[in-house]
Order: sequence, then C-alpha cells, then structure tokens
Amino acid sequence: MWALWVLIGAASVSAHLQNLSFDGQKVFRMIPQNDEQVEILNFLASIMEVDFWQPDSVTLVRPKMQVDFRIEAEKSFDVEDLLKESGMEYQVLIDNLQAALDAQLDSTTHTASHSYQKYNNWDTIAAWTADIAAQNPDLVSRSVIGETYEGRPMYLLKMGKSGPNKKAIFMDCGFHAREWISPAFCQWFVKEAVETYGKDTVMTTLLDKLDFYVLPVVNIDGYVYTWTKNRMWRKTRSKNANSICIGTDPNRNFDAGWCTVGASKSPCAATYCGSAPESEKETKALADFIREHLSTIKAYLTIHSYSQLLLFPYSYTYDLPPDYQELNSIASAASKELASLHNTTYTYGPAAKTIYPASGGSDDWAYDQGIKYAFTFELRDTGRYGFLLPESQIKPTCEETLLAVKYIANYVLEHLY
Amino acid sequence: ELPPSHFPAARAAAVALGYLRYLRGGPGRGLELRALRRARRQDIDDVGHKYYLELELEDVLDKDRTVSCTAEVLYGLGSNSSAPDVQITVQGELSSTEEADKEFYNRIRSLEKELVAENIPDSHGNVPPELEPIHLLAWAASGYVIWQNSTENTKFHLAQVKHVKQLKRSDEDLQFDYMLLLHEMVSQEVIPWEVAVLWHPQRGARVCRD
Repeated sequence: MWALWVLIGAASVSAHLQNLSFDGQKVFRMIPQNDEQVEILNFLASIMEVDFWQPDSVTLVRPKMQVDFRIEAEKSFDVEDLLKESGMEYQVLIDNLQAALDAQLDSTTHTASHSYQKYNNWDTIAAWTADIAAQNPDLVSRSVIGETYEGRPMYLLKMGKSGPNKKAIFMDCGFHAREWISPAFCQWFVKEAVETYGKDTVMTTLLDKLDFYVLPVVNIDGYVYTWTKNRMWRKTRSKNANSICIGTDPNRNFDAGWCTVGASKSPCAATYCGSAPESEKETKALADFIREHLSTIKAYLTIHSYSQLLLFPYSYTYDLPPDYQELNSIASAASKELASLHNTTYTYGPAAKTIYPASGGSDDWAYDQGIKYAFTFELRDTGRYGFLLPESQIKPTCEETLLAVKYIANYVLEHLY
Repeated sequence: ELPPSHFPAARAAAVALGYLRYLRGGPGRGLELRALRRARRQDIDDVGHKYYLELELEDVLDKDRTVSCTAEVLYGLGSNSSAPDVQITVQGELSSTEEADKEFYNRIRSLEKELVAENIPDSHGNVPPELEPIHLLAWAASGYVIWQNSTENTKFHLAQVKHVKQLKRSDEDLQFDYMLLLHEMVSQEVIPWEVAVLWHPQRGARVCRD
C-alpha cells in the first residue's frame, strides 16, 4: 500500500524525508585519557542528546578507549568549545553526516559492482572484461576488435588453454540493445568456463581442445542507450544521411541476401538494413574478425531474445541449407538438453519457416562463409515479460542455455572439419 | 495442418489470446498461453484465411492449473479494414476472481489521490506487488488493441505499461488511462498506444472508444 502512496504524493514524501535529515551533524572521535575526561563525556551526555556510535553508551566509556559519537548540528559548536577548553584531543570524523550519506549513495549507483545475476551496465561490463582476463590469464585474454560508432572499444574475450592448431567457436551477445538477457548470458558463460575448468570434465575438455571467442556486447552504443534514454531501443546509434532517424538493425546489415526480404530500406524502421552491407562499424568489425580467423572458426553462435527459439539458416530464403539434416538434429538435441533443466520449451528449425524471412542476418552470413554450424538463440521468455525479463530469471535462463551451448560445442569438437 | 510451434500459427494464437484477455482478463486474472496444441489453416475463397486452434492456457496467478480452449480466428481478405473475427470456447471453468476483484476495487476507491504509475515492469523486469493488478488490467486492455489491430502478418505483445493514470468518475466504474508499449514481432517496432479502460468487478473491462 505504501508504494502506491509514494507514487501519488511527491510533496508528502519530501516532507517525510526532511525529518530524517542529518544535515550539518558532526561525528567526533576521541580517546579520553583519564577518569576526569571520562567525566566530561558523562557531563556532555547529561546535558544534551549524544548518540554514541562506539561504544554503545556513555556508561561503557573508559580511559584509553576510542570513543565515537554523533552530535546534532546546532550543538556541535558548543561541544567543540567544551572539548577545546578541557584540553581534550579530538578529531572530527565526519564533518557533515548528510553529505557523507549522499556521497555513499552516489558511489553505489555510478560504480555499481558486477553481478552475474543482475543486469550490468556497459561500464561495469567493460571493467569486468578486464578483471576476468587479469584473474584468469591462462584461460582468458582480452582484445579489441574495433570501435563502435560512438567510439567505444569492442572487447572480445578469447577463452581456452593455449595450444597449437586449435579450432574455435565464436559466440556473440547484445546485437540488439534491448535484449538484456543476451549479454547476461555471455557473461555467465565466461564465468562458468573459468569456474568449472578443471572441475567439470566437459568444460575442461572443451577449453583444452577448443578456443571460444566471446563478444559480450556487439551493439554497445545501443546498449548504453537502453540504460540511459530508451529501454526499448534496438538498433545501433549511427546517424543516417538525409534522415533524422538514427540507427541500423545490425542483424539486417550483413551481406546475406542483404535487404531483399524482412528488412526495411527506411532509416526510421526498426529493421533498417543500413546504407550498404556492413555499413555499421560494429558489424564490419565482427565480420572482419571472422574473415581473418575463418580457417579456425568452426561454429558461430549468436544470442538474442525473446521467444525461446533455436534457429539455423536460412533466414533470407525459404530454401533449406545443404546441411539441413545435420543442423536440425543438433538443434533438436540441444533444445532437449535445454529443456531438461527447467522444462523450458524451445522451438527449433530453419529461421525463415520457423519465424519469418529476414535478410542480412549474421548467422546466414557466417554459414555462407563456410562456418557449417551457425545457430541463433532467442532466449526467454515467450512474451510475458519479453525484453523486460526479471533479474530473478537470469540464473535459470543462463543455466539452461549453457547446457545447449555445451552440447553444441561438444558436437562441434567431435565433428571438426 | 500447421506446425503449432511455428510463427504463422503462433500469430493467430496471439490474436485469440488477446481477445480472451479482453473478455475474461482483469486485475485478478492474467491469462497466458501455456502451449498451442494444434493449428489448422483453411483458405476460404473470397472470404479470407481461417485458423482453427487448440490452446492450453494458464492464469499467471494460479499456475498449477491449465484450461483448454478452442478458437477460430478469421482474417478477412484485403484486411486493412476490420479486426479478425474470433470465436473462442473455454473448456471448463476459469477460477473465480471475485475476492481479488473486490479487494482491488475497494483499495482503488479508497485512495485519497488518483493512482499514477509508470514503467510496469521497470527496466529490470520488476513489478511491485501492489501494481500487479494494474499490470494485469493492462493485459486486458492490450488484448483489445491486439485483437483489433492484428493481421495475418503481425504478432503483438504488450512490452510495457509506459504510464497509467486513474481518472475520477462519478459512477461506479474505475477508469484508467494507459499508455501501452506494444511490441510487434515481425516489424520489430515498439508502438505506443493510448487506451482508456473502464473496469468494474461485475461488468469487467471495457475499452473506451472515442
């Protein structure tokens, strides 16, 4: 009930807060040297309100004990005079309690600490990429594959025990800005890899025999925009010539049947394909990296939300890919693995038929480059919360998805080409 | 016969669900699709495309039970004009919402100031428990909008309640003016939609039309 009341009356809320203000209040620290000085503190406590922080009450004060106490604003000057007159040494621990409280509140919002079970803003994720690599140097290394439109570095994590001639799996998250569960999954994957290496046989084998390239957020500018301005933003944040509308749909921007179907030529549309394939710095950086490592990358996974789907090529045509049978069995088995944990049902199939045709997708492009095992995940849920998936579902979603990803990775390892 | 898990059938199911949410949903009942069991499409010359659906629904407030439904969704030809025609039959009973409805009604009526709220759920997916009925009433309101505006090539979901404001009324109805954000899956657009809804425990939800 109180929450509704808060929503209704802004004026009444602020009046309530003023009664709890600590503006101008001081906290003193001192060490009474003898019984005389202890007496002075007793005297103080008898003539005014003294809030003892340490020890709990004046009756516990003894000589040589460190004493911390709070005094209200108007009385603090009298107290200082008294302490000075009696020659007692003291220090002002906190000059203005309210200011100190405010500063503490600010710091927790701006430098929020990383959590695998919460949605992390970009700064937190960026710092995390550095930390996770520094803490696990023989398993994780960080590199920059390019810059976003707004100049942010695109961090890539390479995971795996170093070894010669290793093949790799490439996985990216955060193509579409509003799909927050997606970057959360990439972070979870990395955590699981470093925490279970040496403990889980499957993960250990995977990291020993394969490398994983994990791009935690592709569309960083868009992601930042969903945190600061518009939670429902999807595209990049690049300016479009001759239009006031911003952004290109990165998953319509690849050179795979580009802009033929299921994409828009209008810069104002959510599925705008861009001025040309790879017109976006982000998609170009991704494509360049994959091209440069084409001989080693054997699988491509791209993580989106929502709808609970596991899709494979093609999206840009209803034609089935040459590897249809194999991809379909993998998808079927991976979906089963996923469902085994929390009964979450996924639908799988070739994208065009399963959902709708859409050209310019990164998975189709990767497949046509020769990366046989190309999959798109659409994570939880099916519409109840949609993009606004509650943080309480991050863990179960990531756990079940991990089973599917490990299945696919293991299959790739056993069918290297 | 259509694969029930694929989008063409799912689009028709979304329309049926929207329609049912409008008719039977409210602050005490949030109907969700548990599964689409079966889907068939019939092309009727000079009329349109008719979808026959077997659905399994659940109430988000009572997830242990499910209720089966059959629905028929008819999309007319050249369908820029009218809403799809929906017939729906619920097998069995939906659980009663009488107590929850009464409690909600009385709570809102006793507010000193009209209710105002925004961003339900918030960016992180949270809905304060006291606002859940307002959220579910928005589902009912969005059901109307989705039913009225769907075509064979659209799939709408309620993305978020951007804003809701209660309007004082002299009669027995409660009135809420919603600004809803609807997500259309094929175009991927998120569309703001204003809906004014009347609600009463006995009379249910009614969308005000200008």
